[in-house]
Amino acid sequence: MRKFVMTLALISIVAIPAAAQSIRIDFPDLEDRAEEVVDVTLDADMLRLGAKFLSGDDEGERAVRDMVKNLEGIYVRSYEFSKDGQYDHRGLVDRVKSQLGATWKPLVTVRSKTKENVNIWADMRGDRVVGLVIVAAEPHEFTVVNIVGPIDIDRLAALEGQFGIPKISKERNRD
Amino acid sequence: MNLDNDLKRAMRRESPPAGFAERVMQRCGAADSAAAAEVGGPTRRRPIWWRAAAASVTLAVVLGGYAVHRQREGERAREQVLRAMSIASEKVAYAQQQVRDIGSH
Repeated sequence: MRKFVMTLALISIVAIPAAAQSIRIDFPDLEDRAEEVVDVTLDADMLRLGAKFLSGDDEGERAVRDMVKNLEGIYVRSYEFSKDGQYDHRGLVDRVKSQLGATWKPLVTVRSKTKENVNIWADMRGDRVVGLVIVAAEPHEFTVVNIVGPIDIDRLAALEGQFGIPKISKERNRD
Repeated sequence: MNLDNDLKRAMRRESPPAGFAERVMQRCGAADSAAAAEVGGPTRRRPIWWRAAAASVTLAVVLGGYAVHRQREGERAREQVLRAMSIASEKVAYAQQQVRDIGSH
């Protein structure tokens, strides 16, 4: 009995930190003010189901299928506003940051007065990334993405423009 | 007169032959059971066919409906996955590009 309890305790000690962490990314106060809200909520079951319907012939969709097969969830909230100053960027970043545990490390912080501000945090377990939070803020738009599960950031970035969506980052760099 | 006599003879009361009543009753019984078999038979068999057919149709409708529902749900999930990944990849690529630009200056 004692052995069993010890094993159970050991398993829980190992398993709890290994589990990827999802955070609360709903901002009801923003929802009320936003002109348009994008809400994508995909838990593990929905991801598997969606992956089954991705085409094996299309290179982009095949890459997405490979990436999402080990994920436990993807959550996106994007709020679009009709005019500037509808939200407190720093306050929202702090709200997201306050939910991140000790294993979360800031990867990239882009600050710009004229362009998009981006904060990326990664849930690091050794050299493995098992979760990602992206906060992107523009004067008219605020977006939060939470990816739960192991993810290759370079492969994720390489997906840009593969779904019939133009490579926005390159266009912005011409400014 | 002859006509009167003929009529009286023809209309006179006569006792039925022996066993007439039994024979009539027997025939009535046979006719009833034949009619009952004709009317009751198909109504007893019909529900079996109808039940089997109805069960098959119901099963086909339920399975078909579930398949359509699952297909729609899957297509919706696929669109959501692509949308989420395109937003995430766009933001990460933008951040990486900014870092590269700073590095190259």
